[in-house]
Amino acid sequence: MLGKLLKHEFRATGRIMLPVFGVLLILSMLFNVSVRLSGKIDFPLLRIFFGLVGVAFVVGIIAAELLSLILMIYRFYRNMLGDEGYLMFTLPTDVHALVWSKLIVSFVWLLLTNLLILLIMFFTAFSFSQTGLQEVFRQLPSWAETRQMLAELGISVGMLTGLALEGLLILLLAGLTVCLHFYASMSLGHMFSRRKILWSVLFFVGISFTFRFLLSGLFLLLIPALDQGRLQVLFTDGAGLTDIIRVMMLIMGAGGLVSLAESVILYLATTLSLQKRLNLA
Amino acid sequence: MKPILECKALSKRFGNVLALDTVELSIEPGRVVGLLGPNGSGKTTLIKLANGLLTPSSGEILIAGQKPGPNSKSIVSYLPDRPYLADWMNVRQLMDFFADFYGDFRCDKAREMLARLGIEENMRIKQMSKGTREKVQLILVMSREAGLYLLDEPIGGVDPATRDYILDTIIRNYNPEAAVILSTHLIADVEQVLDDVIFINRGRIVLQSSVDDIRAEHGTSVDGYFREVFKC
Repeated sequence: MLGKLLKHEFRATGRIMLPVFGVLLILSMLFNVSVRLSGKIDFPLLRIFFGLVGVAFVVGIIAAELLSLILMIYRFYRNMLGDEGYLMFTLPTDVHALVWSKLIVSFVWLLLTNLLILLIMFFTAFSFSQTGLQEVFRQLPSWAETRQMLAELGISVGMLTGLALEGLLILLLAGLTVCLHFYASMSLGHMFSRRKILWSVLFFVGISFTFRFLLSGLFLLLIPALDQGRLQVLFTDGAGLTDIIRVMMLIMGAGGLVSLAESVILYLATTLSLQKRLNLA
Repeated sequence: MKPILECKALSKRFGNVLALDTVELSIEPGRVVGLLGPNGSGKTTLIKLANGLLTPSSGEILIAGQKPGPNSKSIVSYLPDRPYLADWMNVRQLMDFFADFYGDFRCDKAREMLARLGIEENMRIKQMSKGTREKVQLILVMSREAGLYLLDEPIGGVDPATRDYILDTIIRNYNPEAAVILSTHLIADVEQVLDDVIFINRGRIVLQSSVDDIRAEHGTSVDGYFREVFKC
């Protein structure tokens, strides 16, 4: 059932996000062309046009980022808690599948939006630089050279992979937590018969404050529990890059656990309120 | 015969308001039942409970012996009392949606009904008039070969011609082995299609009887008897 829910959720959201990506790509191409031409052509009207393209490009990036966030909130509100909820909650599936379908699709769009923006920024940066992209790739060290450089710094490939994986996991958890924060606030706010949006906003603010307070405490408790003397090494004379990476992994690990705890609580708040206290208008 | 819908001491409370009060009810398959009562009597609450859109405060409600959940939802075809289809979707996408989630959805049946009304499959919900939207919703719901049809105010707020079409569609298309529960306060219009009636008032079941028994025992139509019972 989750597969079918995902198919229809991608269909509902793709019709908005794919054209946005298309517009963003066209704007970035126009901007790149205008940057390359602006140094060569000295015509006042064209300069104004290039300036406008630049503004549209920046606005486009901000709009795409905002839209992916707004779409995540709007889809949950409209499709689950509005009139469309009468269809969604009478499908032969459970609340968990419904919430996961929204969560996965929102996360994918948030991720794709950010990846696309990063890629666009990367290529745009080369429009301004004198160095060509091919030249940069040519200058990159080979795998063997990279390994040798890492060995000289005393860093193993395993350690670096661990750090990257931990970073990815934290990114994944952070994305899920952002979505669940909105979902839980809306689900809790809609338990009330009146002023549902106001209650949702109040829950959002309340959850933010409570969680920051409680989870900061948990983070501070986790650090010494996971430490194993790594922090102490950092303040000795012989501390090297490996020790710094180990401390980074410690802090990221603790942060990841805190984020996981936050996600689990928010997920339970969302699913339980939808299961037990669903209150469609 | 095993009841398709059963309520055992079912109560639902919203804050201080008791919307349903210890309802005892049993509906068997193969019957067209009118759930009749004035506005605010608890009809929609009962239907929402049967669909799992609300949870009981006490007592229980069973669909084919099961509590509302994914299994019961697969045999219940529900028409809410409001537009509930995403307005950006066209009819083809909606049929695809229903066919994906409900194994008992018959696309050919839906196509036939749509064609009879001249509704194009590429037409979006937002392009349709209120009456056409209601017809599309009904066609989708009645194109399922469900065990229980729960139709909440299917003829409320539509013109008399559409009303006739809706009632005709229900009677022509429901699975004969299924039960149809039709909630309304427009009794004169639905009386002709009903086998049984349930009168509900202030969350309590006032009467459950067959239409024939009402006519024989009280010498009046269901509409006439309803007016007598619910006289202000």
